[in-house]
Amino acid sequence: MNFWFTVFRQVGRNLRQTWPSQLMTLLTVTLSVLIFAFFYLVYTNMLTIGDKLGDDLRLIVYLEEEPGPEMQQQLLRKITSFDEVEAIHFISRTQAYDRFSQQMSRNRDVLEDMPRDFLPASIEVVPLKTLRGLKQIKLFSEYLAKLPGTIKVQYGKDWIERFYSFTNLLSIVVFLSGSLLILTAVFMVAYTIRLTIMGRQAELELLKLVGATNNYIRTPFLLEGLVQGLLGSALGLLALYLLFDWIKDRFSGPGLFNLFEFTFLPVQTFLAIVLVSILLCTVGSFTSIQKYLRI
Amino acid sequence: MILQQPETDTMIEMIKVSKIYPPDVTALSDVSVTIGRGEMFFVIGMSGAGKTTLLKLLCSMETPTNGLIEVAGKPIHKMKGSALARLRQKIGVAYQDFKLLDDRTTAENIAISMEVSYKKPDIIRKRVIDLLEQLNLSDKHDTITGELSRGEQQRVALARAVANSPTLILVDEPTGNLDAITTERVMKLLNKCNTSGATVIIATHDGSIYRNTPHRVMELSRGRMHAMHGGESV
Repeated sequence: MNFWFTVFRQVGRNLRQTWPSQLMTLLTVTLSVLIFAFFYLVYTNMLTIGDKLGDDLRLIVYLEEEPGPEMQQQLLRKITSFDEVEAIHFISRTQAYDRFSQQMSRNRDVLEDMPRDFLPASIEVVPLKTLRGLKQIKLFSEYLAKLPGTIKVQYGKDWIERFYSFTNLLSIVVFLSGSLLILTAVFMVAYTIRLTIMGRQAELELLKLVGATNNYIRTPFLLEGLVQGLLGSALGLLALYLLFDWIKDRFSGPGLFNLFEFTFLPVQTFLAIVLVSILLCTVGSFTSIQKYLRI
Repeated sequence: MILQQPETDTMIEMIKVSKIYPPDVTALSDVSVTIGRGEMFFVIGMSGAGKTTLLKLLCSMETPTNGLIEVAGKPIHKMKGSALARLRQKIGVAYQDFKLLDDRTTAENIAISMEVSYKKPDIIRKRVIDLLEQLNLSDKHDTITGELSRGEQQRVALARAVANSPTLILVDEPTGNLDAITTERVMKLLNKCNTSGATVIIATHDGSIYRNTPHRVMELSRGRMHAMHGGESV
């Protein structure tokens, strides 16, 4: 009989003997992983959406009057002196009218009585992809608003602000659920192992007296923590995948899910969550062994 | 007083060993004894004389307050970790309180001492069956030890002590709960182990097992050791 055979037999015996508490711990770890991974999945997808929205970001600077060629050059210089930009388009009053008319499509006849220059001229500024974050966009917008002849600057401020505060909130939720995962994994596993140790005190003492080595006694407990981490994270992630799949199926069709491509966690993240859970549960097990196993 | 050993090869060496439990209960006082390899040795005395303490010191369940204890040439009271574990695998102990796992079967209880030294499952199975037969417990193979009588539990504890073929066997009151026939069976098993080369130390107050014995008998009284011969004081 070799070392690992006896160790696995001990693990099997422990799991059988203390299955109610083991099951509770497994469920707790599974739920913690599910909660954390769910918020993390939403967060990463939101970041992707944020990136895509950033790609389409335009700052529209409405002007008091249509700038002449010289004025256009001056404005161009002033704008690029703040930051490099992807592109700058000057939109004349008539171009603005044409665009608006196109957007109205079937209802364009309402514009028939309107003069072709009733819309203000504007500058469409496409910032660089490196311009990320609400603060930077705000700063740029404020700078543009101070340019001479500017009526106002529009970039969907309210919508972007709400989006960024939502992603900020999500990052806090991810952080909190991550902390929850750490606490439950470490403390619940530590508590279960402690219960097992307490319940098997007589056996552990006997094992010591008949010549069991410290590794022979400790390893099964460490393995129990490892198994809890592995099974808990695998089940949590499996539940998340099923949930994700169900939501995708259920809400497919016209709507938000078609506007953006929602993706599941990449394999690397999947493996990282499993490994971190295993590590946390093993640490929980180890702390109990250190504290309560007197060998 | 140091007692002479009959054999040249030494298994146990105790020199001026004392054990005082707090606050000031003296269990053993300046005990010096040498026990040879392959010797059968009886430690007798009244309850509370220090017999169990002596056995506990020999398997390092307790540490002495003073003195030197060597088992197979190694200072067991100073050993720790895997070195102590390896030495303990060669020491079989049948405790007075049995220390059986009440929720396990008889076979599992006996097997535990062989499992820690990684014996093959086949060997363990055969050895368990053989020992149960010798101790007239064959029908209790799969019985939970919590359901056994005191006498049966005592025999299971003894079977576990000898199962791993240890070189040193420590037995505390092996016949306390047994009838005459079973006592004979137990002594037969211990004699067999002794004949195979194991050193056997029996702590007992049961006169029937040490009276007229050819082996050394020593009496513990108030923590001090006195030599006897065949159960008679010398």
